[in-house]
Amino acid sequence: MSTRVFILPIWIRIWHWTNALLIIILSVSGASLHFADPELVLVPFALAARIHDLAGLALVAAYSFFAIANVVTGNWWQYVPKPEGFIKKCVRQVRFYAWGIFHGEIPPYPPTPKNNFNAMQQIVYWFIMYLVMPVLLITGVIFMWPDLAPKSVFGYDGLMPVAVLHYLAALVIVSFMFAHIYLGTTGHKISTHFKMMITGWHEH
Amino acid sequence: MGTDPETVAQVRAWNAECLQCHVGDSLHEQGKGLFNLPKAANKSDRISPKFTASNHGNMACKTCHVGAFLSYPHVAEEISKKAETLGCNECHAQESFRVEAQVAKSVHSKNLKDNFTCSTCHDPHVVASAKKLGSVHKLVAQDNAMCMECHNSDKKFAEFGGKVLPDKKRPDIDKIHEWLPNTQRHWQAARCIDCHTPPVKANASLSVSHEILNKDKAQKNCSTCHAQDSALRTGLYRHIKETEAKEMGFANAAFLRNSYVVGATRNIYLDLLGLIMVGGTIGGVSLHGLLRILAARRRKS
Repeated sequence: MSTRVFILPIWIRIWHWTNALLIIILSVSGASLHFADPELVLVPFALAARIHDLAGLALVAAYSFFAIANVVTGNWWQYVPKPEGFIKKCVRQVRFYAWGIFHGEIPPYPPTPKNNFNAMQQIVYWFIMYLVMPVLLITGVIFMWPDLAPKSVFGYDGLMPVAVLHYLAALVIVSFMFAHIYLGTTGHKISTHFKMMITGWHEH
Repeated sequence: MGTDPETVAQVRAWNAECLQCHVGDSLHEQGKGLFNLPKAANKSDRISPKFTASNHGNMACKTCHVGAFLSYPHVAEEISKKAETLGCNECHAQESFRVEAQVAKSVHSKNLKDNFTCSTCHDPHVVASAKKLGSVHKLVAQDNAMCMECHNSDKKFAEFGGKVLPDKKRPDIDKIHEWLPNTQRHWQAARCIDCHTPPVKANASLSVSHEILNKDKAQKNCSTCHAQDSALRTGLYRHIKETEAKEMGFANAAFLRNSYVVGATRNIYLDLLGLIMVGGTIGGVSLHGLLRILAARRRKS
């Protein structure tokens, strides 16, 4: 018989799916802008630019909500890797992905109300949400108001380093997105984590 | 005109004669700041740096201003009858011939007929080639100022357009370009004619078409410029195409010195890194998933 534990409050779930939708929209429109080619159109450039601007502003709003709600609810603590047994926990998690999962083992650290994330999730989510996302958003805002960028840097347009950082941060986020969606299938059952992200209840 | 020191000195001396009177709030080019240096300035230095830096900067006034202009003091009656300023085609015959058909198709010629001449846009006293200006930003500023002189001035617009199209009101430039993202940024980085003329081929004899297109025919496909094979290569940056080579992996590095052009100034190394990161992640998780399926089947059997 399976047990149910309530893990995720409604605000995290709404924020998560809003964020997911915006990241997908921004990835497709961003790729259409960066790899623009009159012969190979994913989304027409002008439309992609408009969508990217609007979705980008929405992402800034969503991130601001996430940051404030995290502080207010104390949820920020979930993201902080705890030193005690951290390496050991990571090794056990890696062993699960590399070996255990192929041999029918159950995940070593299922989510609990106290610890939503396993040690690897903590460090990766912390890196993504507190380092990469701010870089992505700040460079995105500068891109939208390019006068905020320095006029020139080492003889190049001052937007160049902004664009490069924005692109690199986007690469990390897009790579993370694919890995994140896939790792969503590594719960007790393939659907376990997806169900949890919708209902807030973890079943195992 | 030659550029050897003797010829230059001779030209300066001739021009200084003209500039004894044509100076200050003078008879020539009033308000344009061209010949309005203080009267106290050394006479031979009175000519504006704008003119000196222009394509015609080493020419004598009297090369173009002939007829009754050549005799001094000018005789008032003769000036009104016999004074003559040569047309551009007197020297630029080949170019005039080449652009003639394009100009005829231009929206300006269609609307303004004979009121519209070379000098309506190209003020011969200030116009400078891209090479002379030395920077793309300066070229953009110069060329856009030609258009804006009328299209940003109700007075000038009416002066030309009013004769043939009295009901035509000057459209607000910002308003009709609202669709263009970062409009002001575009106007600092690209010329009006980069969109308002048909694209030219890389090997065309003229760097830009003189067929000015109205808003219905102008370029609206952003990826004409915003692409690796950008039309800016054969247009705005044509004169520095030798430096088109990649720098630090950036395509169209020549653009990058002036503007980061999304889609055009991509970095091939970073694009490769993107392919490895995103492709590697998708490949990695796909392989992992496949192995999980195979392992599950094996366990069942």
